[in-house]
Amino acid sequence: VKLAVAIVASILLFIVLAALPSAQPQIPAARDVVSPTAYVSLEPAARGASFQLAVVMKIRNGFHVNAHQASADYLIPTTVTAELPAGFKAGEVVYPKGELHTFAFTKTPLNVYQDKVILRIPITAQPDAPTGTQHIPLKLRYQACNNEVCLPPLKVDVDATVTVAANSSAARPAHAELFPAH
Amino acid sequence: MKKTALIAIAAIAVIVLAAHYADKATRLSVSGGSLKKSDNSDPVKPAPDFTLKDLDGKNINLSQYRGKVVLVNFWATWCDPCRVEIPWLIEMQQKYSAKGFTVLGVAMDEEGKSVVAPFVQKEQFEVDGGGKSLMNYPIVIGDEQVVDKFGGLFGYPTSVLISRDGKQIKRITGLISYDEIAKAIESQL
Repeated sequence: VKLAVAIVASILLFIVLAALPSAQPQIPAARDVVSPTAYVSLEPAARGASFQLAVVMKIRNGFHVNAHQASADYLIPTTVTAELPAGFKAGEVVYPKGELHTFAFTKTPLNVYQDKVILRIPITAQPDAPTGTQHIPLKLRYQACNNEVCLPPLKVDVDATVTVAANSSAARPAHAELFPAH
Repeated sequence: MKKTALIAIAAIAVIVLAAHYADKATRLSVSGGSLKKSDNSDPVKPAPDFTLKDLDGKNINLSQYRGKVVLVNFWATWCDPCRVEIPWLIEMQQKYSAKGFTVLGVAMDEEGKSVVAPFVQKEQFEVDGGGKSLMNYPIVIGDEQVVDKFGGLFGYPTSVLISRDGKQIKRITGLISYDEIAKAIESQL
């Protein structure tokens, strides 16, 4: 029995060791570089109310994405667009300015987003907006690089879920840390 | 006790294998924004043949360069490190083409020829000691299939050096080191 246990354990350890190098890739896939989540400033919102959606982009350490105002025309900027269902209207997206950073591949600083950034979309639920749980599909596009390598541009779907009440008095502020001035 | 240890080892093995296969599963296509992981375990495997269109719409096969040393450079117009390399590649083309060498640029822009052709026709690059120059090496429009044939890529730029007899000698992901790649080219000429 002892021998059998030792053999099985050795085989399993061999499998673990053989798999280790490929389980720790140096460069992640583009979709694993940014983790986006959408938040709503009113929960619930209400018919006739204006509120905001915040798309929080958590960017993997060591990587950056181009800011919306990219440093050159040829760079792919970060953008978010809302595919609004009937009963909703959107204003212009508010993008953070970005930060200038220099990387190993360029002497000229580039305007980029790193770590965590918040993109905000003003939304109005019209008087005839459907009540209950509604989904506002968002498309986030970004292109990421680290200090050596660039990953292909990517469009990801982000779902914003908003609950719409019929009565405006039902609207309640939410996620105050993301919407301080709301 | 032994049973517990065995179960623990088995659990670790399952987790690591699951991570391994999950990682592979996320690196399947260029269009999905992720690039297949390259296999560097066998650095001298034969280069795959491919046929891609150049900017004039003409078919270019890798096999037509058999007998030459080829540096296949996967790049894109939006990729800053790729742009940094271009003057070096121009210089290498100038320096080594007479000795049986060529760079073959594989442009991976999603929009294809519509953005690559104007870039190649207009963009001039400062070449060390030689003033400004257009890209002086052949450019083809890449696709997902060619990336698959090369076993996938980690990112851009990626350069693969191919020997006269069609073997993959060296593969570099990210910005190349001019000296390192020049040395590798010279060793093949």
